[in-house]
Amino acid sequence: MTTDNVVADPLLPGLRVPGNRVSRRAISYWTARAAASGAVVVAVELVLAAVSGFPAIWRAAIVVTATFVGLHAIIMPRWRYRVHRWEVTDEALYTRSGWFSVHWRIAPISRIQTIDSHRSVGERLFGLANVTATTASAAGPVRIHGLDRELADRLLDQLAVATGQTPGDAT
Amino acid sequence: MTVPEMTGASDETAMAPVPVGVTADPSVAEQSDAGPSDPQPFDAGPFAAGPSDRGLAMAGAGLAGAGSGVPGARWRRLSRRSMVVRPLTDLVRLLPLLAGLLILHSRTGSGLLWGAAASVFAIVTGLVHWATTRYLITDERVYLRRGLLNQKTLSVARDRVRTVDVTAHLLHRALGVCRVSIGTGRNDLRSSENFHLDGVTRADAESLRLVLLSGVGEFGADEPAAAPARPQAAPAEPGEAPALAGQSALAGQSAAAGQPAAAGPAALAGQPVLAERTTELVRLRVSWLLFAPLTMTGLVVLGVLFGAILQITNATDINLAATGPVRHVVADFTAFSVLQRILVGGSVVLVGYVLIAMAGYIAVFWNFRLAGQGADTLRVTRGLLSIRATTISLSRLRGVEISEPLLLRAARGARCVAIATGLHVGRGAERDGSALVPPAPRAVAQRVASAVLGLPDDICSGPLESHGRAARRRRYTRALAGAVLIIAAICLATWAQDGPAWVWVASLALLPASALIAADRYRSLGHRLAGGWLVSRTGSLARRRNIISADAIIGWRIHQTWFQRRQGLLTLTATTAAGQQHYSVRDIPVADGLALAAAATGDLLLPFLQERAAADP
Repeated sequence: MTTDNVVADPLLPGLRVPGNRVSRRAISYWTARAAASGAVVVAVELVLAAVSGFPAIWRAAIVVTATFVGLHAIIMPRWRYRVHRWEVTDEALYTRSGWFSVHWRIAPISRIQTIDSHRSVGERLFGLANVTATTASAAGPVRIHGLDRELADRLLDQLAVATGQTPGDAT
Repeated sequence: MTVPEMTGASDETAMAPVPVGVTADPSVAEQSDAGPSDPQPFDAGPFAAGPSDRGLAMAGAGLAGAGSGVPGARWRRLSRRSMVVRPLTDLVRLLPLLAGLLILHSRTGSGLLWGAAASVFAIVTGLVHWATTRYLITDERVYLRRGLLNQKTLSVARDRVRTVDVTAHLLHRALGVCRVSIGTGRNDLRSSENFHLDGVTRADAESLRLVLLSGVGEFGADEPAAAPARPQAAPAEPGEAPALAGQSALAGQSAAAGQPAAAGPAALAGQPVLAERTTELVRLRVSWLLFAPLTMTGLVVLGVLFGAILQITNATDINLAATGPVRHVVADFTAFSVLQRILVGGSVVLVGYVLIAMAGYIAVFWNFRLAGQGADTLRVTRGLLSIRATTISLSRLRGVEISEPLLLRAARGARCVAIATGLHVGRGAERDGSALVPPAPRAVAQRVASAVLGLPDDICSGPLESHGRAARRRRYTRALAGAVLIIAAICLATWAQDGPAWVWVASLALLPASALIAADRYRSLGHRLAGGWLVSRTGSLARRRNIISADAIIGWRIHQTWFQRRQGLLTLTATTAAGQQHYSVRDIPVADGLALAAAATGDLLLPFLQERAAADP
């Protein structure tokens, strides 16, 4: 699962880009999730507006919110897909995530304490899974979102084997 | 619930001379050991090996026999006195509720019944707690078993024990028992699985501490029964008392008080004094009380007092405003002119605050003493009513934090907190036992930090590398943008509410204030990597210099917002298993940040650097 091509990170010159993208289905999943949570906000506004008889200010607010929610649901997932990347080397787990703000995380394999995979209902609908590797630091978990489910299972096994080989208490 | 006969008796200090841990018949231990299948509970290991090989000048006499015998590990109970402690603490906690119940039900006469029921319940839970709590120390693990219906066994490997925290509040002290918490670094931030023993005798607590952290001594053997939470000045080597110790009257007093207590039993037993080498690093000086009002401790105490009064008045239905003295004061106060009211009110509040802050400082830090103990532990003792003794294994100490809140900084004060795995750092660090220096002169905090970690002086006090113009611009942009937003909100509110014009005019003062803060925030910002120590400093209102060992870094997080990307900055965060779990270098220029991370952790980051991936490091 290691890639050898060294690509400079356009977002952060000096760092190289992690080798693997997440599943393309993640775009649909993130779109659906953003649309669903946006729809809840708009629905609440509609109810509140209906109670007061749709005054102009409410109508304006609803239009603005709907536009914002729509743009978010269209732009965010595509932007996010271009940012989210991950890579597992023999020494470390390396990820890039986020969209407007970008996070790079590096956790040495030798310091990983637990590896788990979690599938929410939404992720299962889209055949996705995420993998979380925790370290002895409460601030150090590394999450890879939007992985293909089978790939996630394989990654889980691979990491479990790799982390089992390092002795010590990983602090 | 079959219990070996000896167990109950051994927890009294008077019984201590019998090295129970050694002479106990293995079968006794086996009999009660129905629980965890410990692999080799009777294996001779460091437990029996004696202290001499650890380089500690410990008296061998008491343990000479220990080495030859089979070290029997057996389940032990809490002190029988804990049966009293537990119900009484529960009752004290329930007091407001009980008072409320009594008053509510006084007409029907069932109040007494409720009170009696609660008392019986508390006593029964106390008995059950004592009867069901047992602990076992083997060569490799410490076990704690508790619970009547849902029996729970906690166990921890002895080499994972990082800290031992001995606390004793007033009730504990009256009964000569204390509470021992064992910090393991697991579940650092969760409290559900706390490994603690509430109600062991002082002697047991002391030997627990010795056994668990120094790895020496025989648990339950005849250690000098020194009260662990009392400052023990006795074993200090004559030449090592630092200048600070002799200078304050306070220091002299407690040294005098501590000496006989610690030396007594050992001398009586006709043995050489247990010479666990103690090097005092710092001791509270009365003059440090002046720093008390400059921290938030006073406000916290005020909050607690206020809460307590509210709770009591609520529960007891007393209307404070209607009581005689309060009415009297209010009447007097309203007789003053406006100026008098401001002067009198202001000075009363100020004096009250200063007194309360000092009282809080005294309650928490009285008899504060930090000492190096043995070859590899630090010992912090403090407290006036509720006393606390924290022992930190030096091998678990990963760094220190020197914090200088604005007011404290103005008075050239600072405090110092340990960054160690197994020590919680959260709200009010000094509450959680990691304080190495209470609010004190900055020089003292820096000296202690250097001494504890063995650092060159300039790491704690020297200049840092600044983050450049982009970081400075970002400080100003953020501060001013925040101020402008607040001012805009205030203007909008005054316009909408037809408020007076002076409100928004006054709000303009936020601009220069935030500019000042921005300037100071930039001045504080800095980092440095020297001798394997990563130093980072941030903040203005609460300025902190974090010093962590590069070896303790177990991962990196790099964070860059869209704005930071345009400014060529990033926030570099080192994750660690100690203290706050993550320590950041904020707004460092991209190239510097990557170079810093690569230099701090060597191999970890290099494979991911674009230029150096191919070239040699």
